[in-house]
Amino acid sequence: MTCKSYEAQKGLAFAENVSGVQFGRLDSNVTLACGKAKIRIPVVWHLNHSSALPWHKVTLNGTLILLHPNLSAQGNYSCYDNRGNLLHSVKLRLGYPPGQLNVSCQVPNHMRVRCSWVESVKTFLPATYNASWSVKGQDGRPCVLDVARKHCDVDDLAFWQTTHTLRITETNALGSETTEKWLNLHTLLKPNPPESVSVNKIEGFPKRLNVSWRFPSSWPTHNAFPLLFHIRYRPQGSVYWSEVYSEDITTVVIYDALAGHLHQVQVRARDGINSDSQWSEWSRLLLVQPWQAYPTTDPAEDIPDFFTFSTKPETTTAIPPDNDPNVEDNMGLVILLVLFSVVILTTILSLIFVVWVKQRRHDQVTKQELKSMVKMKSMPI
Amino acid sequence: MKLLLDSSSSLLFSLLLAQLPVFTSASPVPQRRPTDMDKLSNQTKNLMKLTQELLREHAFDSDVEPHRFRSLPEMGNRSANDLNNLELKPTLSQLHADLKLYEHHFEWLNKVSKKHHHPAVPKLVEMIREMKSLINLLHRQMQRVEAPKLIPATPSLPTQLPYQFDVLQSSHELLQHFKLFCDWAYRAFLSLKPKVTAVQ
Repeated sequence: MTCKSYEAQKGLAFAENVSGVQFGRLDSNVTLACGKAKIRIPVVWHLNHSSALPWHKVTLNGTLILLHPNLSAQGNYSCYDNRGNLLHSVKLRLGYPPGQLNVSCQVPNHMRVRCSWVESVKTFLPATYNASWSVKGQDGRPCVLDVARKHCDVDDLAFWQTTHTLRITETNALGSETTEKWLNLHTLLKPNPPESVSVNKIEGFPKRLNVSWRFPSSWPTHNAFPLLFHIRYRPQGSVYWSEVYSEDITTVVIYDALAGHLHQVQVRARDGINSDSQWSEWSRLLLVQPWQAYPTTDPAEDIPDFFTFSTKPETTTAIPPDNDPNVEDNMGLVILLVLFSVVILTTILSLIFVVWVKQRRHDQVTKQELKSMVKMKSMPI
Repeated sequence: MKLLLDSSSSLLFSLLLAQLPVFTSASPVPQRRPTDMDKLSNQTKNLMKLTQELLREHAFDSDVEPHRFRSLPEMGNRSANDLNNLELKPTLSQLHADLKLYEHHFEWLNKVSKKHHHPAVPKLVEMIREMKSLINLLHRQMQRVEAPKLIPATPSLPTQLPYQFDVLQSSHELLQHFKLFCDWAYRAFLSLKPKVTAVQ
């Protein structure tokens, strides 16, 4: 992201009188003329009906020059002739011309961008803004301003462009300045945190927790915009987080919670396709304790503030999208595997038996052959 | 007796064979056969990964885009809202034409990178191979749904890149554009998946 600033008009010591108001630059000499007539008569200047003036000098033609005025020099200036007749009156406002703006943009989805700014120079003067948004090869379009909140919005973006350009021009009575910012929306994309996050104990399972949430409401619900979720949890007091990732599925079951302990759980989200984008902020920290056979009156009661866990490393589990953590299914699978093992074992034993029977029969045949041979040998020819 | 033993061996062997389906069905996650659209989106994801790796490995920090490539597929008219209303046949045809155009650009880049002995050449070759495979897969899908094949635009490529710096800059520009294209194409395939099922 790059920022460039340039001045269109700057360095004016004062601006022309607009409806009785004259603008001057702080810390620079400011000249106040006593009307338009160039009469060489002695004049007296007053500030807010007082003859006490800030550091100044008066020229021969009655012009008042305020030398390096500060904010206290602002007010209503009046000049009078030597008979006390009012010749001219003007309100002086002091400040600075606009400076570079510090612009930052939020991209919560592929349709909208909001850019906010902070002035690098406090001008002390009212300003107007103009903001435009452009992409390569296209005409600029307005970035819709909210001057009070100092931000502007662009909707229905042509998101899949390498560079987008935002130009904001700030103008006040002393000048104007345009700040130009090049943006890569792909790296700025940062969803809002998942919503309605809830963690529930699962009846009958002291080591399990069910975590569920909803897509951020600002994220499109269409299947072309999958989200990757990152769930982290730890027993309260532990410094190590365990982690689970879930692709586009808004519920996971934690299987390795610490029985009888209060757990902290948080969820965050990132675009499921663009790995250059940013993770959302974490959801609010939730505290929940897994199911207990004999719950204590207050779950937090018997849990010390700090645990001394054996150094359990951060564990990561990836939940595939189609994984259904169903207990009955797993039990069925175990039974099936046991049955299968029994069948295999029986088969192997039967094979061994068959081989043994074959071998025995072969031995018997050999014995019989030998016997016959001996008999034949002993027979008289 | 021999006959009996032989037949019992065969019976046991058959029993073992009969266990095979049981064994396969006992795998923890039931495997769904990937559809052609799954293959297309996976292949696109793979290409995007290769592009990101190339961009990371040969990082080139530049604020100024040289705009050397005037004939890359136009992305300025593709918004997120469009992804909700994509039509199957025109989108497949357009993606095919776009990929063909990128293929020409990357083949050109590969040629000039070889000339300058750029270290990214092996990965570029792999990318072009993957791209061709995706184009073929997409073409098959187009034939299946009777999507017309668009006449590919003629690429306008830089005539010469005298310095290594120019090659790096061009490579960066092309990869940046292609990464965004892959992102959009992947989402388009996801979006079109239910529509293909409806057609078939």
